[in-house]
Amino acid sequence: MAGGGGGGDGEPEFQIAPMIDVLLVLLVFFVMITSAEVLKVDKKLTLPVSPNAKERDKDMAKHEFAVNLRFDEATNKGLLVIDDEIKQNWNDVLPFLQDKKKADNKLRVVVRADGKVPAGEIQRIMNFIGQAGIDDISFAASNK
Amino acid sequence: MKKRSHKRKQSSEVNLGFQIAPMIDVVFVILLYFMVMAGDIQVENAHNTKLPGTQEETKEPVNLPDEIAIRIEDDGQVYLNDDPLDSPENKALPELAGSLKQLRESSDNSKSTVLVTIYANELAKYQRVIEVLDALTRAKISNVTFQAGSPD
Repeated sequence: MAGGGGGGDGEPEFQIAPMIDVLLVLLVFFVMITSAEVLKVDKKLTLPVSPNAKERDKDMAKHEFAVNLRFDEATNKGLLVIDDEIKQNWNDVLPFLQDKKKADNKLRVVVRADGKVPAGEIQRIMNFIGQAGIDDISFAASNK
Repeated sequence: MKKRSHKRKQSSEVNLGFQIAPMIDVVFVILLYFMVMAGDIQVENAHNTKLPGTQEETKEPVNLPDEIAIRIEDDGQVYLNDDPLDSPENKALPELAGSLKQLRESSDNSKSTVLVTIYANELAKYQRVIEVLDALTRAKISNVTFQAGSPD
């Protein structure tokens, strides 16, 4: 009844190869989880915190379209950013959203607004989304 | 010239083989970096809602929902059917969540649904609206609509 380890004579040796394997697997794991989450966060706006918000539905990911609303301190209003482009005239967004809805009937608009944005601005963008015939809205929030 | 030949001799003696120890050092440092970063990750979650008036109608008879109004003032004070709950500084909104849970349970017992309408003032912060949505999620209420301006 020899106690495990090697089975050969002498002291069990420290195996470097399996340790490197495990290290690399851990490394790849942590690299993937950090980079995957960082990509989703726009650093120019601070999302409101909501610890109980639901995890985003992965099946709906391909139907989601993000509408960013940064906070403009000078005017105390929201700055609408779509596809990294600042929209000065919000009325231009309506035909754009209508086309998006035509292309994808299951379209879900994710409103990614800064926590400091006045609620009136959120209602304004919701009006545009509603006018475009989109009923599925989701409000993005950070877990912490 | 003498010096140069001495140098050449030294470099030829250096072992250029693969060094495992420094590689493990580097891998450990990178691993530690990503492990620390992983603890600080911000995950983007969401509150989903459907806009009213765009949902498909059903032919089955539906019990009329119990309507609840939540008002959010500019300073962050939250009112549930005109009753002020929690202080504007309280982000967790425990009183609101507790009251909503009781209302939802009584509606479940009478086999009706709860419909919450959020009346957020123009200058109320969006963060406060999300805190109210968070309290609604804790109370397991999913029928939420938004209204511009106050209910009066």
